[in-house]
Amino acid sequence: MITKRPLFYWVKTGSMKLQILLLIVIVVTVGARVVPLEMQKNIVNKAIAMRRVDLLFMYCWLYLAAVVLAGGLKYASAVLQTYIGQEALSRIRKELYAHILTLPHDFFRKASSGMIVSALVTEVATAGEFVGQAVAVPLTNLLTLIAFAAYMFYLNPLMALLSFVTYPIVIIIVPRLQARSNRANKQRVDTTRKISSKIGETITGIHEVHANGSYRIENRKYGGYVDQLFKIRVIWILYKQGAKALNSFFQNLGPFILFLVGGWLAINGRFDLGALVAFLSAYEKLYDPWKELMDFYQIYQDAHVSYGRIMEYFDVAPPHLLEAPDGKVQQFEGTISVKDVSFTVGNNINLLKQINLELKPGNQLALVGFSGSGKSTLAQCIAQLYDYTGGSIRIDGAEVFELTKKDVARNIGVVAQAPYIFDGTIRENLLYSCEALLDSDSPEEKEKLPGLDEMIQVMQQVGIFVDVLRFGLNKVIAADQEKELVQKLIRIRHNFRKEFGEELEEYVEFFDLRSYLYFSTVAANLTFGNPNADEFALEQLPSNAYFLDFLDRAQIKNPLVNLGRELTEQAVDILGNLPPDEAFFQNSPISIDEFDDYKALILRTKGLRLHEISDEDRHMLLRLALRFVPGIHKMVGLPKMLENLLLDSRHMFMGTVAKDRPGAVAFYRMDDYIHTQTVLDNILFGKPRGDQPKAQDQVNQRIIQLLIEEDLLERVVEIGMNFAVGTKGDRLSGGQKQKLAIGRIFLKKPPVLIMDEATSALDNRSQQRIQNLLETKWKGKSTVISVVHRLDTIKGFDKVAVMKSGKIMEIGSYEELIARKGLLYELVHGARAGA
Amino acid sequence: MQERGYCMNSFTEQEQGLSEYQANLEIFMQVPLFSGLPLDPLKLLAYLSTRESYKADEVIFQQGEVDGNAYFIITGKARLILDENDSKKVIKEYGEGDFIGGLSLFCRTKRLFSLQAAAKTVCLVLTREKLEKTLEQFPGITRKILEEILATVYQWEFRFVTEYGRNCSSCLGALGVSLV
Repeated sequence: MITKRPLFYWVKTGSMKLQILLLIVIVVTVGARVVPLEMQKNIVNKAIAMRRVDLLFMYCWLYLAAVVLAGGLKYASAVLQTYIGQEALSRIRKELYAHILTLPHDFFRKASSGMIVSALVTEVATAGEFVGQAVAVPLTNLLTLIAFAAYMFYLNPLMALLSFVTYPIVIIIVPRLQARSNRANKQRVDTTRKISSKIGETITGIHEVHANGSYRIENRKYGGYVDQLFKIRVIWILYKQGAKALNSFFQNLGPFILFLVGGWLAINGRFDLGALVAFLSAYEKLYDPWKELMDFYQIYQDAHVSYGRIMEYFDVAPPHLLEAPDGKVQQFEGTISVKDVSFTVGNNINLLKQINLELKPGNQLALVGFSGSGKSTLAQCIAQLYDYTGGSIRIDGAEVFELTKKDVARNIGVVAQAPYIFDGTIRENLLYSCEALLDSDSPEEKEKLPGLDEMIQVMQQVGIFVDVLRFGLNKVIAADQEKELVQKLIRIRHNFRKEFGEELEEYVEFFDLRSYLYFSTVAANLTFGNPNADEFALEQLPSNAYFLDFLDRAQIKNPLVNLGRELTEQAVDILGNLPPDEAFFQNSPISIDEFDDYKALILRTKGLRLHEISDEDRHMLLRLALRFVPGIHKMVGLPKMLENLLLDSRHMFMGTVAKDRPGAVAFYRMDDYIHTQTVLDNILFGKPRGDQPKAQDQVNQRIIQLLIEEDLLERVVEIGMNFAVGTKGDRLSGGQKQKLAIGRIFLKKPPVLIMDEATSALDNRSQQRIQNLLETKWKGKSTVISVVHRLDTIKGFDKVAVMKSGKIMEIGSYEELIARKGLLYELVHGARAGA
Repeated sequence: MQERGYCMNSFTEQEQGLSEYQANLEIFMQVPLFSGLPLDPLKLLAYLSTRESYKADEVIFQQGEVDGNAYFIITGKARLILDENDSKKVIKEYGEGDFIGGLSLFCRTKRLFSLQAAAKTVCLVLTREKLEKTLEQFPGITRKILEEILATVYQWEFRFVTEYGRNCSSCLGALGVSLV
């Protein structure tokens, strides 16, 4: 397990080739470092003393060559070290992350995500730094030290001995200082963690802080930790710096002895001057490697402490193997037998007591009972999400606790109560469970994934098909793509208008030259056409000089800037303090990313008259106004006067563009595809009025019919499957998320299917559809355990188990239990029948 | 079509120059369930809620359905209907300014009645999802709304007891909602 590995493991398992290369570089470097010393001596003793210019040149050149070589090699070894260190760091990060993912639920209930983030992102960094240096630094510097020392002994043993006299003192004192520094460092790591979980806590509970105005209390709590950290860091750094200062003090003491003794020897003629110069510079040069060794020692100690702290924190064994050692995955039929199962947490709190039940393959069981009765817990125990504390749960005779995670994933499908949808496309999320079962990410393996037909079938079954179709219809197709599709869409447009134009007038705002389009942007209302020249694309318009000049001539620039200001003020007023959640920004002309800029703009321009606002800010406001869609951005109304002005300007624009820039904008025509609009708008040749489900239904039905006629339905759905759902699936409704979660499990076709209130966010019709599916398609194929919150769906199950405070009170077929007039009868006919 | 306009603003709103959001905000400030709340959550509710229009006789919600919406009638009127084995009983009629279905915002219950537009009707609609988004941001207000709901239930039963209770012996057995 990764947490048991010592720090040196990462040194040993790094790339051997690089390490050897590094060693060679180091040995040459050390050689190159000694050469200048010898040259120094030769220059003084031979070249200068013998007045030989040719020797002087030669020695100087050799000196230079050695210095250049040593410099170059030093850089090379730094590069190698960095590579080795960073490579090790990314290995630690990846493997630690993989380990953390396997930890039991219990662990995450206690651990804060802030701590995990800071461990993975910042704390491990010192370990990486250390691994990079672990071989190179001690080796280079030790070798250099030894080489210099040997050279000094060769020059004069007595002086050499004298110069090393201070070193033992350092070696004795520094580790003591370091031990204290380590203690402080440990405290530092712990306090930093406390701070990060404190910050996490405050941010999660920020609404309470705001509601209570408890700024002082929170500042005090946080401040307490920061003060603590302040003291610890000062102590930590004092000890570290103390060790350094001490080291350099003793180091500087050296020349004093050397001058005293060396000077005396030289005066007495027992030591030549050149040797003294060489000796002194050798001694000076000792300082660097020695200091680097000291630094390395400190880095090692710090890395050791933080690495140890991290590994200690995550040192929990994953309760289950990820896969069997031989790589085999078991395939079950789905016989489930639960015997005397109990689940106890904390201080003898029994969540499950003596549970017994048997299910044959393909049997379907409904678990009912009040909330807190343990039905969810039981389902989760069977799915190995919780580890039951007593008794036995077996699937086809195999104890669930002993199954590997791969066995579980292959055989059990769980639809959770609040399913989690990950950032990515609909397609990626649908394939999530199937993709997890693949052995690798190779293209051959990917071919095993379900195909488009199968995905479409499942989407229809779970009832998300129409939603995905809708996403496809909302896609904008770029000018040079999908030529064939575009042609067919124009055909559909004509048919749509002919067949349903009148009938759907209430739900669709058709493009009409004479009227203002309340469901289109101001810019689209002005240009009223498809831009052929890029500079007339809607997003380019605010920076199109011709267009801006036109706005001025039409005298609508100022009214628009004013509109932009009003929009910004309202949006900031409503959304100013809310978190960046897609749901809040759907009806705002300002997107999440720009919001802070506009918020700052409002502060900046507060109280200013329109003409006093800077040009850049006016431009930002204009950009916003051009995006305004009155039918969607209802925070501000479109004044009738501006509406009329804009309509007039539309006609004026058509005239001037046709004259000045012929062909730059193709005005809307029934026979031209509009590449700036969505597929839906192209079919409608207009915009749907609002997003009310009722209106959508009406329009959808007609469009589906026409798409089927042109054999385009699947193509559009395929486009829709590339819809990005946003982080945590934020761009989907609760029902859509749940349908997607059911769909991804249905695609996996597990022999055991566990539905934990899986349809609670769905409307009646969708619930019924899924229930019918269970009773037909899955009947006899998968063993189903369904935690049910609504009793009207349970008649179709083979067995019903009624739970109460952790026990199964009665179990049997629906008819049996109703006939018995026990708990189920009471539940069904009792006061809560409506629930 | 041209005179239809983009939203279902009543004339008075347009005359006053209010945006739909501002008009919604004024509505929320007069619905008892929400009127006691601070301004910020009200703004968010007004911003997130939508308007829907119904033709005469169109069903707004159906008995047995779990829609989770609350409705405020802006213009028009609607009938509350109890479906009983093929016979439809009109229980009462709601008109402009009535707020319907606050409980279903909080509890996943089936509709016990149907609501049907009796004329062309425009409603302000708040869905459970939108309310939940708001409660997430302002958790403190849940308690206030709960108190308001409980007070309404209490008031209802209080009125029932004082007005009908004594004269309707068959009703007595069904009393006690305020004691849940």
